[in-house]
Amino acid sequence: MSISGNQKAIMMKEKLNSNFARKGVFTGLFSGCTWGLNSVLLGLALGLVPVMGENAAIFAIPLAAACMNDSFAGFWLLLYNGGAGRLKEILRSLKTFPGLMVCVAALLGGPIANGGYLLGISLAGPAYALTITALYPIVGALLSRIFLKQQIVPRVWVGMLLSVIGAIVISYVPPEGGNSETFYLGLLFASLAALGWGAEAVLAVFGMSMIDPKVAINIRELTSGLFLAIFILPIVGGWAIVSQVFTLPGALGAFAIAALAAAVSYLAWYKANTTIGVAKGMALNGTYVMWGVIFSVVFLNSPLTQNLVIGSGLVLIGATLVAINPKEFFKKGEVA
Amino acid sequence: MADTLPLRFRVLHYISTVDKTSADQIMKALKPEYGTEKQFTKKVFVDHLLDMKANFIIDDNDVALDDKGELVIYYSINDEGRRLLKKYLPKRWNQK
Repeated sequence: MSISGNQKAIMMKEKLNSNFARKGVFTGLFSGCTWGLNSVLLGLALGLVPVMGENAAIFAIPLAAACMNDSFAGFWLLLYNGGAGRLKEILRSLKTFPGLMVCVAALLGGPIANGGYLLGISLAGPAYALTITALYPIVGALLSRIFLKQQIVPRVWVGMLLSVIGAIVISYVPPEGGNSETFYLGLLFASLAALGWGAEAVLAVFGMSMIDPKVAINIRELTSGLFLAIFILPIVGGWAIVSQVFTLPGALGAFAIAALAAAVSYLAWYKANTTIGVAKGMALNGTYVMWGVIFSVVFLNSPLTQNLVIGSGLVLIGATLVAINPKEFFKKGEVA
Repeated sequence: MADTLPLRFRVLHYISTVDKTSADQIMKALKPEYGTEKQFTKKVFVDHLLDMKANFIIDDNDVALDDKGELVIYYSINDEGRRLLKKYLPKRWNQK
């Protein structure tokens, strides 16, 4: 029955594959856009949390926010997967090795990277910590090259580099001088964050060869949220923040809505990573910095500084370079 | 009977048992296991196949047009896909 020489069928297949890749690129951009929205909404939600002293502001509040963000997102995804008849898939996946790898990815990208990020900022200062953590797409791309043998063409590297420089320009704050004792430890924690996010993407993509991305991200959010709630919040006094938030319907609603944006964003990110590869997926997700600026300027009347304009321009050019010509992803990656 | 595998995993496993197969053929073969589930739709199967192809664990070397002129893609497992199955397929499935 096979008519493999049929030119029309071959052309139809190529069109289907390139449409699939194009959809992956838009999904990646969409994940960046919704993550930017999540950052802005989370900022608004945090503004509704009562002031609880400087120590709480450094660790307890951000980690409690991360916990609520992941847990609520996990809950939204449970509703989504439940509606689509995929709840059984969650348990089935957890019984397999690839499913457990997604749990490890969750711990790397959730508590470890988030914790490293916060400790990095507090110990080394935002100027250095944010610059290091902005490198996460490059770390992810390198790890995917090594462990997943994913091919990354020079154009994508250049685009990614421009995006990362843009993100650094956007989040630039004047350095306040390194405080010798904790400074290097802070740099180490910031590096741990970049490594954690990069490793998360690579491990998750590997797991998603065999399990559904929509299920994988649900597992990821619930694992990270539960781990933070059970093991981290008690140490940093985060439960006091969470219980405060639950007594304030406005704040609770704000966190729930922010988490909805996070759920949509993560769903899109995991799908994009598995469809177009980690390097492109992460680079397109990295446009969240630019989207965050746009949302803040449009909805919150934040001032548009020169840094924001230049940085966003670089992110945009970088993302475009990453996104165009998706065809090469249909060739098999070479072994390094 | 071993535990039910996640659908994508099972699709990969099924492809490894045949020379080449299409989305419709896979659905027909897996209907007894997953047929009653809401996720049992052609769109879901096609998406799993395209994703696995994009992750270089199956190939789509053969195509045809059916009676209605619609595209049928035949997928077959490659070495990388076989390697993953050998390493990560639950033991009880290996014995089948």
